[in-house]
Amino acid sequence: MEERLYDLIFIARPATPEEEIKKVIHTLETAVAEKGGKIEKTEHWGTRKLAYKVAKHREGIYIYQQVRTNHGELVHELERRLGVQDSVIKYQTIRLDEELKRQKKLSQKREARAARRPRRITQPVPGAEQQASAN
Amino acid sequence: MSEEQKQVQSAPAPAREGGDAPRREGGHPAGPRREGGPGGGRREGPGGPGGPGGPGGARRGKRQYFRKKKVCKFCVEKMDFIDYKRADILAQFVQERGKILPRRMTGVCARHQRWLGVAIKRARNIALLPFAGSAAGVQAPRALEAPKG
Repeated sequence: MEERLYDLIFIARPATPEEEIKKVIHTLETAVAEKGGKIEKTEHWGTRKLAYKVAKHREGIYIYQQVRTNHGELVHELERRLGVQDSVIKYQTIRLDEELKRQKKLSQKREARAARRPRRITQPVPGAEQQASAN
Repeated sequence: MSEEQKQVQSAPAPAREGGDAPRREGGHPAGPRREGGPGGGRREGPGGPGGPGGPGGARRGKRQYFRKKKVCKFCVEKMDFIDYKRADILAQFVQERGKILPRRMTGVCARHQRWLGVAIKRARNIALLPFAGSAAGVQAPRALEAPKG
């Protein structure tokens, strides 16, 4: 199976101490290491207002990670571990690689078109002039 | 080549500057609909004293003058990917109460509207955008605010 890239976001309760969050991240890291994957990125977005109440909280600590793996099972395991944590109130995993692939393809297409464009613009102009003179 | 890349990279910055335009339209969702209203009235016109739809037609022509051609914001910015994490961008395409704005109001092209819908729904799931409720003042995650590159 080819490698896949996932976005993993989880929200911890606003009162969670720093160590607790580190512990959660550590459990994720061990799970990733076990199943054979790689955490590409870890970002702490800090405390953010939630758009709606989650587990009676209006705010939450956002942690964002990017995980690359070729084991789909890993996502299952990560979500299971997040679900068990009391301090985590919400999490979401999203597969990203296909969209990035599409993005790459489209931007390549655009560049190819941009490289071709100057010639295209110059061509129809003499034709239009001829038509105008004929009329 | 390098210029093209620069353009793509610098895209997020103007995204926020120009961002107010679709929002303003969103603030008055009834606007375009009201325009459609008199058109409905015109249908009754021929039966009434108006007779031929002359004045109605003229009015219609005038109105077309005022209508500004909307262009897809994402096409202008050359975005090939709508990131669900950029809640500040997504919030421009959502009504005050959190509904996704239709294409006819925002001018987004069909392809980008499709991606936009997916992105908004993902953002909702992780509490970046509301399902229902105030979408005003939604900000991007701090880490993403600075444009990359």
